Amino acid sequence: MLELKQITKSFPGIFEPVLNGISLRLAVGEFCVVIGANGSGKSTLLKIISGEYLADSGEITRQGAVCEVGQDVNKGTVSSLTLLENVALSQIRKEKPKFAFYNRFKQDIIKEIKKIGIGLEKLINQPISSLSGGQRQIIATLMAFNSGGQILALDEHTSALDPKMQIMLMEYSVKSIMEQNLTTLMITHKMDDAIKYGNRLIMLNKGKIVVDIKESEKSKLKTQDLLEMFHKYEDQVLLPGGTK
Amino acid sequence: MTIDLILNGILQGLILAIVSYSILIPFRFLDFADLTSEGAYPLGGAICATCLSFAGLSPIFAVFLSMLATGSVGICTALIHLKFKINTMLAGIILSAMAYSVNLRIMGKPNIALFNCSAMFSLDIATNIVKLVMILALIIFPLSLFLRTDFGLRFRAVGLNKDFAVKQKISIEKNTILGLFLAGALAGLAGGLIVQIQSYMDIGMGVGILIHGLASLMIGETIIGVKTINRQLLAPLIGAIIYQQIQGLALSFGLAPSDLKFFTGAIVLLVIAMRAKNPIA
Repeated sequence: MLELKQITKSFPGIFEPVLNGISLRLAVGEFCVVIGANGSGKSTLLKIISGEYLADSGEITRQGAVCEVGQDVNKGTVSSLTLLENVALSQIRKEKPKFAFYNRFKQDIIKEIKKIGIGLEKLINQPISSLSGGQRQIIATLMAFNSGGQILALDEHTSALDPKMQIMLMEYSVKSIMEQNLTTLMITHKMDDAIKYGNRLIMLNKGKIVVDIKESEKSKLKTQDLLEMFHKYEDQVLLPGGTK
Repeated sequence: MTIDLILNGILQGLILAIVSYSILIPFRFLDFADLTSEGAYPLGGAICATCLSFAGLSPIFAVFLSMLATGSVGICTALIHLKFKINTMLAGIILSAMAYSVNLRIMGKPNIALFNCSAMFSLDIATNIVKLVMILALIIFPLSLFLRTDFGLRFRAVGLNKDFAVKQKISIEKNTILGLFLAGALAGLAGGLIVQIQSYMDIGMGVGILIHGLASLMIGETIIGVKTINRQLLAPLIGAIIYQQIQGLALSFGLAPSDLKFFTGAIVLLVIAMRAKNPIA
């Protein structure tokens, strides 16, 4: 469960608050897609949830730890450590560190990596830097699922990948979210993904939730509806500049 | 005679290796450019010499006190950086400068002779080398085991990717303090041992020791690489022994001892230049 009450957040030097009174409650296992234009406050919202930023005011309740995957493939893993060592770090986070050799996780980790089904288990003793960007991002995602958190924050985690890899990673993510019944927030700019995945959708505009679509309505949504919503809010910003 | 020279070089190299480990830990595992050893090494010597000559403590206990004190200086460096956001190198330099005055206060005079005090070492170079090898084994082996545990892996992650470590809820503070304590204690250990070997402590001891230790580390890394934990952990030892022999060679070719610091700096720059062209794996 995750609950935000009247969260606001400003940054020095920016006149308008980036988040302006956000309230949101996600039940356990709820999978909420977040859309909105650049600068609407999506990433800030996720960083408040993960604890990276502290809110200026408002209340946040988290049931369980938050794990996250961001856009930057270099930030989710440690490039000079091996595949085993990286995944072991997430395993250690789940089980609390001990004075025991991390090699004891090897068999479990190979099993987990095999589940992804693209043969990465063969690279278990290779440094992460020898993997492709897509492979690294998949490992970063696996590590998020492996770290024992109950809340998952995905910030455009497939955006840097090629189309085939994007689909693969999304399918893998959704399967794991279902299996572990994680409370999930996923930021995306891909309207197709926003329609296809999750059982709730919110849209942010100028730091506020302007659209909140629940399960039954969401399944009826079409890409066209979303684009219309987007234009309804964003054109107010774009039209005066004449860029549209 | 030449054998003696080589053995003496190895002896000095083993002491230098300990200093080199005190540089390895913060530089390579924590990505913390730490200069505290420049002050911790003579501080360790000063404390050990004072304990032996004035208090008549047992040599092992004296070295233990040296390590405790210099380890605390390491913690101070860590805290100054963590709490006041002062550049790591600046924090180390400030403390090293302060250590000089502290050393004089502790010793009460600029130098102490230890010829009549009990020591862990004898006049026989070969036995001394064996003892130092045992001490180094007591450093390297536990360190190698530690780095393979959960805590060791998290310790390494701090230096390799700080953002990542924070997200994994790994404490930067605790690990930095631990690492700099170890580094400081090792530098103090080297200082405490060298005064017992030389039977002499001088306030000017160890000026530039950091550069010597760094040169050793870099030479070792260039020769055997850093691909695995084992290689990374052997680099200071091998580098220090080779470096000391290079110095001995330079002296026997007629270089004046006072030229050695220039020579060392040139070696460090040379290794850095070589690495810039061919980064080591």
